Amino acid sequence: MGEPHGFADRRRVVITGLGVVTSIGVGVREFLAGLRTGRSGAKPITSFRTEGYAYATGCEITDFDPGQWVENTDPARLGRASQFSAAAARMAVVDSGMSPQRLRELRTLVSVGTTDGESRDLDTLAVQQVEHGPENLDQVFARRATANRLATSAVRELALTNVEAVTIPTACAAGNYAIGNGVDAIRAGDVDVALVGGVDALCRKTFAGFYRLGAMAPAVCQPFDLDRKGILTGEGAGLLFLESLDSALARGARVYAEVLGYGLNCDANSPVAPDQTSLARCMQLAHRNAGIKPDDVDFISAHGTGTRANDKTEVGAIREAFPTPPPTISIKGMLGHTMGAASALATAGCALAITEGFIPPTINHEATDPECGLDCVPNTAREAEVDVVQNNSLAFGGNNAVVVLGRLRDVA
Amino acid sequence: MTAATAPDAGALVVTAWSAVSAFGMGSAAFRDGVSRQRDAVTAVDLDEFPGPFERAGLIPGFSPTGHLGAKGTRNMDRLTAIAVSTVGQLVREYGGEVTEDPERVGLVLGTGSGSVQSIMDFTRDSLVGEKPYHVDPAKFPNTVMNKATAQSAIWHGIKGPNTTIAGDWLTGLLALSYAVRLCRAGHCDRVLVGAVEEYSTQRAWLEWHAGAAGDRAPALGEGGAIFLVEPVDVAARAGRTPLASVLATRFMAAATTAQAGETLADCVRAALRQAGVAPARVRVVAPAAADGGLGSLESAAITEVLGETDARWVRCRPLLGDASAVSTAFQLAAALGEPLGRDEVALVTGIDRDGAVGCAVLGGGTTS
Repeated sequence: MGEPHGFADRRRVVITGLGVVTSIGVGVREFLAGLRTGRSGAKPITSFRTEGYAYATGCEITDFDPGQWVENTDPARLGRASQFSAAAARMAVVDSGMSPQRLRELRTLVSVGTTDGESRDLDTLAVQQVEHGPENLDQVFARRATANRLATSAVRELALTNVEAVTIPTACAAGNYAIGNGVDAIRAGDVDVALVGGVDALCRKTFAGFYRLGAMAPAVCQPFDLDRKGILTGEGAGLLFLESLDSALARGARVYAEVLGYGLNCDANSPVAPDQTSLARCMQLAHRNAGIKPDDVDFISAHGTGTRANDKTEVGAIREAFPTPPPTISIKGMLGHTMGAASALATAGCALAITEGFIPPTINHEATDPECGLDCVPNTAREAEVDVVQNNSLAFGGNNAVVVLGRLRDVA
Repeated sequence: MTAATAPDAGALVVTAWSAVSAFGMGSAAFRDGVSRQRDAVTAVDLDEFPGPFERAGLIPGFSPTGHLGAKGTRNMDRLTAIAVSTVGQLVREYGGEVTEDPERVGLVLGTGSGSVQSIMDFTRDSLVGEKPYHVDPAKFPNTVMNKATAQSAIWHGIKGPNTTIAGDWLTGLLALSYAVRLCRAGHCDRVLVGAVEEYSTQRAWLEWHAGAAGDRAPALGEGGAIFLVEPVDVAARAGRTPLASVLATRFMAAATTAQAGETLADCVRAALRQAGVAPARVRVVAPAAADGGLGSLESAAITEVLGETDARWVRCRPLLGDASAVSTAFQLAAALGEPLGRDEVALVTGIDRDGAVGCAVLGGGTTS
């Protein structure tokens, strides 16, 4: 196995800012408090009409006021996902401590993952079609409903000009894909700063689909539990402010964690079912890219959706890739499945775990499924010295993405 | 490769491409259509595609089962079928070795918002059915925006990184930029990169309303374009001859669409500087050539940077319609269809509807 091109002289990449919009808290401080205390975002869904469903619980965000967070954006011109994106981008920049003026002088990548883009608006347009006919759609919705707006709305909010703005709709692994893009861009010297992560808003379409598949839990999401009943759909945004280590040191920035590397692959097998061996291979690719061994990993933040198939297959893959698996948790018990935002929010959680010295809990846990059988840090966060964390994500279509973070060390 | 851009072993080159468009299936049909400037926008069968447009640049006679057979296409939407066919066209034209060692082959495809037809039909079923969950579970994956890319990997057995990219009219250029980065970073040995777009009733209505142009709305197009990109040393070992080198991609964003022209000029200057290429070496220009104001801003910006030039301008949009997500990928294909000597470069540009701009600089000639 030869070293990849540019491997030897690549720049190190660090996370120096976090912007998070979640059902357990908006902003880093609230999100961190939620992770530490095992807060649940589950509640009855109000985003769309739920008559006709036997149950409709989701991890909805009910206390998000976009006007409180954005400065240059008229929220009415954006779909809900783009509002999340613009707000999270602003938060991440504020949290990084870099002035917006300085940021505008630098070359930047904005890379935003998503499952559904602005499908919330496409839902609304479908309602308008049914009620009024296709000749009578709202122009504002038709214009703002495209997926690229998730990235360009962050660009507009920050008034960036020297910027590459891309949306990466690689479904439920999209956040990690978008993070990887930023990592490579900084490593290669393509950009100075990358705002990367994932965004999604609750939508009727996705709720109906998962419900019909029998993958939707009635009330709670219980990853790795013997009695787990499926996912809860969630929403939110997680954007990370990435820069080179040299840049962070030069400006004396607070570093949450270093992104050690990542791996991607595709099962090329089933449109919906995960593939254990392929996922294990993706973890190995990530380890190699990060220059670590399985034993180095202090805990795994699993995709851990709480469906029978995902959790069993994912744990099987972990056992393939790890002679002795470390504690393996899922924050989806707290946040639900935030789709394209999920792996980005989990990466943000992993960065906080390193900085703050704890492992977030897997909540709603009663009895561990023997088919899973790992230490999932049930219900209560655990104080721990965390040096290296692995964050898994997998998606429909067999799209796997695994990111590895580490405590910043070996700084000259 | 050009002498002035003496390639290191890791320089990335395009060694194969194909396209599926209103010109027909494959690179030969595409090259022929562009070179003869054939107008491929034709009457829409309004029984198949009811909607506001009477004319469009449709792939002639295309249907999922017609092009891919009955097996595995029962629930396949048009977008995914175009993607699978586009990748298949490249494999057919250049041979199966393109996808050999499948874990080391990446697949990167651009899309608008996936298939808005599949997405909105699914929501509609939920709205009008007796119960809101009376939707077809087999069609749920079609409503997820990575479906076309993922299904292409499943169909053709491509197991490396599999990424879907969205960026409105810049999608093809953004996909190329992403793919180059992916390959340079060693996540794959070579990468199939392109973009796809479908014509559908839902897309037509959304474009119609978003454009607010009513009868003046330009005809829409559809199709796919795909490129094999790899380091020059990998290509050499496989015996594939470089068609062009990817010298630079660059993107910027204008504060308002009115400023998109001057921002594009800045972007092109930066890309040429990054590529180490003087403006006089640009011999082929493939602009987005949008109707109306954006198209005028674009050509003025390019002319401003290149100065007095007798470069060949290749415009495929007037021939194929507004192909949205596949627009800039069609332009890349059009540029590759032009003869380009040593020391000559091609410039491909785009402006999207939100004020973002981008370009790619391709180096011509091949290594001897």
